[in-house]
Amino acid sequence: MSSKEILTLQFGHYANFIGTHWWNIQELGFDYHSTQPSEIDHEVLFREGLNPKGQITFTPRLLLVDLKGSLKTLPEEGDLYGTNSAPSPSSVNWDENKVEFQEKQCEPKNDFQKDLNNANIEAIVVQNKQYNLEKNVQVWSDYLYSRFHPRTVNIVNEFKHCNEENPFESYTLGTSLWKSDFFNDEFTDKIRNYIEECDQLQGFHVLTDCTNGFSGLSSACLEHVRDEFDRKSVLVLPVIPSYFPDNDFKTPAEQVHSIMSDSARVINMLLSFNSYREHSNLFVPLCVSQDGWRQPGIPKQFYHTEYQYKLPYHSSAILAAALETITLKYRLKNSHFNLPDICADLSAHGRQIAAGSLCFPFSFNEDASFIDCLDQWEGPLYTSITPRVSIGNKRLMQHLVLRGVPESRLKRAGDKAGKQKDMAAYKCNTIREMLEFYLSCSTYATASNVTTMEKGVTVKNPFPDLFDKSIGINGNVTATQRLENTGVESIPVLAGVHSGNEIGEMIESLYDEARKLKIARFHQFAVERDEYEESLNDLLFLRDNYEDTYLV
Amino acid sequence: MAISLLNPKAEVARAAQALAVNISAAKGIQEVMKTNLGPKGTMKMLVSGAGDIKITKDGNVLLHEMQIQHPTASLIARASTAQDDMTGDGTTSTVLLIGELLKQADIYIAEGLHPRLLTEGFDKAKGKALEVLEKIRIPIEINKECLLDVCRTSLRTKVHHKLADVLTEVCVEAILAVKPENNKPVDLHMIELMQMQHKTETDTSLVKGLVLDHGSRHPDMPKRLENCYILTCNVSLEYEKSEVNSGFFYKTAEERDKMVLAEREFIDQRVKKVLELKRKVCTGTNKTFVVINQKGIDPISLDQLAKEGIIALRRAKRRNMERLALACGGVAMNSFDDLTESCLGYAGVVYEHVLGENKFTFVENCKNPQSVTILMKGPNKHSLQQIKDAIRDGLRAINNAIEDKAVIPGAGAFEIAANKELLEWKDSVKGKTRLGVIAYAEALLVVPKTLAVNSGFDVQETIVKLQEESRTNPEPIGLDLTSGEAVNPKDAGIFDNYVVKKQIINSCSVIASNLLLVDEIMRAGMVSLKG
Ligand SMILES: Nc1ncnc2c1ncn2[C@@H]1O[C@H](COP(=O)(O)OP(=O)(O)OP(=O)(O)O)[C@@H](O)[C@H]1O
Ligand SMILES: [Mg+2]
Repeated sequence: MSSKEILTLQFGHYANFIGTHWWNIQELGFDYHSTQPSEIDHEVLFREGLNPKGQITFTPRLLLVDLKGSLKTLPEEGDLYGTNSAPSPSSVNWDENKVEFQEKQCEPKNDFQKDLNNANIEAIVVQNKQYNLEKNVQVWSDYLYSRFHPRTVNIVNEFKHCNEENPFESYTLGTSLWKSDFFNDEFTDKIRNYIEECDQLQGFHVLTDCTNGFSGLSSACLEHVRDEFDRKSVLVLPVIPSYFPDNDFKTPAEQVHSIMSDSARVINMLLSFNSYREHSNLFVPLCVSQDGWRQPGIPKQFYHTEYQYKLPYHSSAILAAALETITLKYRLKNSHFNLPDICADLSAHGRQIAAGSLCFPFSFNEDASFIDCLDQWEGPLYTSITPRVSIGNKRLMQHLVLRGVPESRLKRAGDKAGKQKDMAAYKCNTIREMLEFYLSCSTYATASNVTTMEKGVTVKNPFPDLFDKSIGINGNVTATQRLENTGVESIPVLAGVHSGNEIGEMIESLYDEARKLKIARFHQFAVERDEYEESLNDLLFLRDNYEDTYLV
Repeated sequence: MAISLLNPKAEVARAAQALAVNISAAKGIQEVMKTNLGPKGTMKMLVSGAGDIKITKDGNVLLHEMQIQHPTASLIARASTAQDDMTGDGTTSTVLLIGELLKQADIYIAEGLHPRLLTEGFDKAKGKALEVLEKIRIPIEINKECLLDVCRTSLRTKVHHKLADVLTEVCVEAILAVKPENNKPVDLHMIELMQMQHKTETDTSLVKGLVLDHGSRHPDMPKRLENCYILTCNVSLEYEKSEVNSGFFYKTAEERDKMVLAEREFIDQRVKKVLELKRKVCTGTNKTFVVINQKGIDPISLDQLAKEGIIALRRAKRRNMERLALACGGVAMNSFDDLTESCLGYAGVVYEHVLGENKFTFVENCKNPQSVTILMKGPNKHSLQQIKDAIRDGLRAINNAIEDKAVIPGAGAFEIAANKELLEWKDSVKGKTRLGVIAYAEALLVVPKTLAVNSGFDVQETIVKLQEESRTNPEPIGLDLTSGEAVNPKDAGIFDNYVVKKQIINSCSVIASNLLLVDEIMRAGMVSLKG
């Protein structure tokens, strides 16, 4: 049977930061040498193609959108289908004395990019070298390892990246941008071209900024997708950066600007959440900070991990690891789940928002058995990565994926088991069974479904080294410190999606913030008061679906 | 603000300063765009920091590529792109004319003339210029010859003249093919533009019929069929589970297989209906069968259709469904419940063309040749884009001519004529407003002047020559760009669109006036440009 394809759409710069890590993780995890077939069915998210040189290509089945000036060194069409000969005026079919050549200075590449392009440097070297990408990454293409199909990158010419004069800051700017010829014709054609290639499309992943104009652009696109491909499932992942530079104001004027921006972001979320509700099957808002709005708030802590929350390069890496893990549910070769199944499980009773969770890395001692690990675990297994949601342990529907814990580490064999034998969990014969058992004991009226996979998440370069020295090369906690200059190669990760009434509180909080705002003061939205009230009401309806008046 | 309230002189100074800024910005953007004008203008090759290439000499395209920071310049740029939205042409002329109006005004303002008087003069002159335009306008019969001239004039300002001539033929043919008999407006959407990127082939041709950007997805389907029935439909032939398979309620493998079978059966029934109709209409004849579906077709359904010798395409573009029905006849079906022969369309031939990973399907020799496709081939994206931009301009030029039922002699002829008439007429204008009329008349000459410069001729000499000729010769007088001599554009087949010129005249003096009355504008707040 052929694979069940998914088309990924990425809207906005932060979404693309996450997406870049996600594709990198996947491609760096490709094992060309192993005799064992991969557990993951890579054809779900990737496509095979043929370039003009007759070479087979394997590229993300992806369309991404960003603003003009956000690509730096990346040519729009990429280099895989290489038609880009060196530009020269003589190639122009016009009177040669009447050709004006205007070449912008070539954007300098960082060391990582240089090494990637250098055929003489072995991959292994690139994986272990210290590139200090923390300093060198300005845009996502600065650490892009994947190579894209020429149709993947789409640039909005109407708005410039980081432009204060004419910022792409409102939902409304996004929805009207969708009406332009480019999106109406070319972009929708590209979607269709991808879908036409698919034999058994499951649906769409839509990874999108929800705090700026991309909230509107993705909403309008979703409406189109719903219209054209009505029976396919759509999972929307609205993302919120953990830091906005305007929040670090110095002058009173900057403070005013920052306050206005925070408000605009709230309005964008309100308006887009309503369209996501209407046009998607499930959506999971993500942010590594606590609050999301009005400001992102305190960054979340993860075991043995230190990250700079102000760097999108860092925070996006964490979210990418979560997405890579949780989507395995329907990307494993032996999985009988589809995207529609997951969406349906988690969105019952009109509860279309779910919360994401992450345990990163899954803290696991090098020499321990899984059974002991769970036995000695303190506190919750995972942290919510959806703002303003603390995932409880009552009346939940939840899907979890644990990867990077091999079955061989489940428990010790009978004769060496010792005290393990006394534990009720000892009867479990797989990691999945044991984790489900653990969850059933630690929750009430909750349905948990666990999927597992042996291989962990690849965190080699250009993934940032976020781990403290007690995390070994294989991602487990070791007694001996990891040596300077050796990076962690892969880590075990637990991630999940959860539906429960805690999410109602999150909606309530967004509602409360949005209600305080006088929409008429925000010209960039061109939204009438009535319309705004209606949006607020729609959000309340959604909140009501989370009232705990019935039993699961 | 507080200071200026106390000191009215500061306000005046501020206005004067703002005016100076506006004039210099207008000059700046004019300077950049000047070299583009006309068939001898400069082609620009823009290369981004990442190596992306853009080749163009079209004003509108360049304005979109330029990083315009200055608010005045961007105001002019917006006026100019509005010009393009409305008429598809004349953006360069718009920028030049606004710039020149401000330059001329600057001279008088420096001598102490109040901008208000100038703008009144501009307004009067505009009215007169429109009269001249009506006089010089040449009514046309809509025939091929005439449309070729208009289109050629436009395209030769965009691409090399050899290519321009090929594209001209293609564009005119295309429009004539889709043009309704009864003088109804042409729907340019009926002309599909299709790009094929190919290393060595570079030609553009007109396909009478449709070219779809996809092909069959089954190895055994025929690559070419003749004498084809065409079934266009919007019916899913793809197995999709209707019931979700919850992670919480396990089903056994058998249970799951059973469900799949039952639902598969449903799709098979649909395919069967198609097969039945195909057998009914084709058996015993030399007719063949093609299915073009807007929805999906899964491998099992494809297999069943392939076994019957059918070409089946999935995920066709919505707009193509309409075009197919128009071109081939038949009805686009939303269900297969009442499938009969009368639902089917017809095409003489359907064949597939493979190019690397891309497939194309040609549907030709249709019943009604009312749908056509312009097929562009080129070695890379930027050259294809340049051709596409040019074709769009060409099609709009033809369409404008059809709607105007008239053209204007080009090569600066209108500007020379209007300049002459305005200067004759100026004495009837009372007071200092007259100076505005003179400034306007002078500004119009920027078009022939720039055409002369771009062809390497001396400006003064050329203009004098043209003006002298125009004084004695009642025919329109333009500039021959190869000889530098006066020429009758009618004889040379150089024609511009009436609506384009009219729009330029209408908008330029308004924008220029707004920029001159900057102090009043500053008080009134933002002016809206479009509309
Ligand atoms: N063969 C020709 N000889 C002389 N003048 C010509 C010829 N062809 C076109 N022109 C003149 O060139 C001018 C148009 O040039 P061009 O198309 O480059 O600029 P535009 O129409 O103002 O702006 P855009 O960049 O939007 O097309 C018109 O004045 C036209 O009459
Ligand atoms: Mg033109």
